[in-house]
Amino acid sequence: MGTAFRRTRDGAYTCTLHRAEADLLRSLAGQLLELLADGEPEPRPDAGSDLLAEVLDLASPEPPEDPVLRRLFPDAYADTPAASDFRRYTERGLRDLKRRTALVVLTDLDRAEPHRDGRAVLRVGADDAQAWLRALTDLRLALGTRLGIEQGVEPDFDADDRDDPRRYVHGVYEWLGWLQDSLVRAVMR
Amino acid sequence: MTTAPVELDEPRADEHLAVDSPWVTIVWNDPVNLMSYVTYVFCTYFGYQRAVAEKLMLDVHHKGRAVVSTGSREEMERDVEAMHGYGLWATLQRADD
Repeated sequence: MGTAFRRTRDGAYTCTLHRAEADLLRSLAGQLLELLADGEPEPRPDAGSDLLAEVLDLASPEPPEDPVLRRLFPDAYADTPAASDFRRYTERGLRDLKRRTALVVLTDLDRAEPHRDGRAVLRVGADDAQAWLRALTDLRLALGTRLGIEQGVEPDFDADDRDDPRRYVHGVYEWLGWLQDSLVRAVMR
Repeated sequence: MTTAPVELDEPRADEHLAVDSPWVTIVWNDPVNLMSYVTYVFCTYFGYQRAVAEKLMLDVHHKGRAVVSTGSREEMERDVEAMHGYGLWATLQRADD
């Protein structure tokens, strides 16, 4: 297992990751990018049909179908028409923000130099720490939603059943939380 | 800024209320986000002191929700959008609802 994040003298943050951990993070960030690109309306061939929407780069007013996307882009109002309006004007920008933060993670992982023992030192610049915190949040929200982690409800899989794949996913979810907590603490120290 | 037109009629009381009534941003408890991260977001985005941010985070955690900011509807929409950007579950509504 790798080490927790700590702040370096020059204000950056470093941690040590095993190759498997770095590969896992890379794969999860890549899946998040794919998911964020999903469900976006295709550019319409008949340009001009909704010129206003194109000029303003508006998102669909409908909530996304995927439960993970619905958690990443929740309704801002209890009232449906107001929530739809809000979504039209904000979801595109939020998707871009979340894509950019996932890309920061991928870029930093690519820069991490592996040692001969399979470990790599990951270095996150002071300006990128927030992108990492946001991206780790999005990954945990995604895994948490897929695992069915809800308020006051324990996930309904058997933690002792070695054949249940959710057991592994839950381990990853916990590890991401540990990694994120170590980065928050290093940033706020 | 344009010059305000001369007002001929007294504004009706309910219109007046609609303009002045403040809105609030509410952050809701969720089982995924870390307490340390929620505190970080309140410090970083709103500029709250650590103690204030921790109190709000604990309110969210124990009471299920907390009002984290108050202001005009536009300001609250901006705050809610920012909270969603941080992955927090937030909504806005009139302060008196």
